[in-house]
Amino acid sequence: MTVQPEAQISAPIADLESDSLLGDFPEGPRLVGTLCAQCGQTMIGTRVACSTCVSRDVSRIALPATGVLYSFTRLHVGGTDVRPIGYVDLDDGVRTLADLREDGAPLQPDVRVALGVDGDGWFFAPAADD
Amino acid sequence: MTENVYVVSAAMIPFGKHRTSSYVGLAVSPLIDALQSAGVQKSDVDAVYVGHAYGGMMTGQRITKEIGLGTVPTVNIDNACSGGATALHEAWMAIGQGLIDVAVVIGVEKLTQFGGGTLPLSPEDREVKQGIVMPAVYAMRATRYLHDTEATVEDLALVSVKARRHGALNPFAQFRKEVTVEEVLAARSIADPLTLLMCCPTGDGAAVIVLASERARNRLGTPRGMRVAASVLHSGQVAEGYRDMTKPEITYESAHDAYAQAGIGPGELDMIETHDAFSIAELVYYEALGLTEKQSAVALLRDGRTTFGGDVVVNPSGGLLAKGHPVGASGVAQVAEAFWQLTGQAGARQVTDARWALTHVTGGGTAGLDHGACTIHIFEAA
Repeated sequence: MTVQPEAQISAPIADLESDSLLGDFPEGPRLVGTLCAQCGQTMIGTRVACSTCVSRDVSRIALPATGVLYSFTRLHVGGTDVRPIGYVDLDDGVRTLADLREDGAPLQPDVRVALGVDGDGWFFAPAADD
Repeated sequence: MTENVYVVSAAMIPFGKHRTSSYVGLAVSPLIDALQSAGVQKSDVDAVYVGHAYGGMMTGQRITKEIGLGTVPTVNIDNACSGGATALHEAWMAIGQGLIDVAVVIGVEKLTQFGGGTLPLSPEDREVKQGIVMPAVYAMRATRYLHDTEATVEDLALVSVKARRHGALNPFAQFRKEVTVEEVLAARSIADPLTLLMCCPTGDGAAVIVLASERARNRLGTPRGMRVAASVLHSGQVAEGYRDMTKPEITYESAHDAYAQAGIGPGELDMIETHDAFSIAELVYYEALGLTEKQSAVALLRDGRTTFGGDVVVNPSGGLLAKGHPVGASGVAQVAEAFWQLTGQAGARQVTDARWALTHVTGGGTAGLDHGACTIHIFEAA
């Protein structure tokens, strides 16, 4: 029988250590993204492999703080509270689900929105320059 | 596939809130009824495939042991709302490849165990952690669809009105009372623009079908049935960025493959059971299933072309909106409806001269995917 190299040991990923999408960056608090050095794909969150090319040569980046609201809804929670949420297409093309605030311009598809931070929480609201 | 595969019997319980029944209690009666109406003995059964999402360990074995249907392989399948249809797909593959002759497919779910509210989704999913729920996904689809097309919130209500009208004719439906557009719009808001009556109800259910090879069908002497002309299962593909939520590509692609496999086009269908978990879904699926061009679904609805007397009857059972949506059971229940329609057993909701039927069920809310799974079947009366 031919002797083969010892089997590779795969390692678990400690993806439960932090589930916050908000991170500290030199430019301030931003959503955490991952950039693939191999194919250039940008992804939401902390990832260990590229979902396009499966490369593990990926790094943590700050995602843009502005984007366009693709769609949204106001969730009626427990029949009383109303929680607006929506999908935001960030300026680098990454889509994220986000809590929304609508104390500025009215929410509608295609409005420009900007990241806001409130303590440990974050949200998007219509951008001030729109 | 080398062998033709046939559905030779179907049975189900009326969907509803069966609080005093377990998964076993829900499924045993239709299991016995389906076997008996097919003339199938326990010893004829080569394998059992069971679709469910929340049944826990050994759901299938817990059910089949009640009638002593053991020994043969029992496969438990979770594919969210597509679980039951995925179970059928697996059974079809096994028979079609000539590996077995007779398979039992069970779809079963007990959602009243959760006490109401939205479906529990995986807490490991990124967007679930952020608070996504299925009504919100479809509500955002609706918001974008209303933004992009001439459709109005009244059209969303009209889908529910049609579903309830059909469901009123169906003794298996959870809701059997007709509603008006005004009543749908006046119902309490769930996720704007969706009201309660634009959302499928929580409930319990079980459905069972028996599949047979041509050889077994001849041996059993089953008089009526339907041939599985296509069976397609797709998984969602991730998008890290933009996705057109009004164009659910997993259904477009599954439908394309199903029509190619069956050798027919959408124009030949007499009835469709589609995954109308929320009213917006039916409109986008008219387009995805090829009944009309993109962004033109409301014309079919408004003109009555998808109800009795129209081009194709969509959800003659009342669909998920009226019949109910016990997730793992729904895909099998759709096939039961197709079976009864194509064999002339659908009573007051019978589609005239039905020969071709399509069933479609998607499954799962997962970040980055349109849906986790999509299963489409096409059947021909035989």
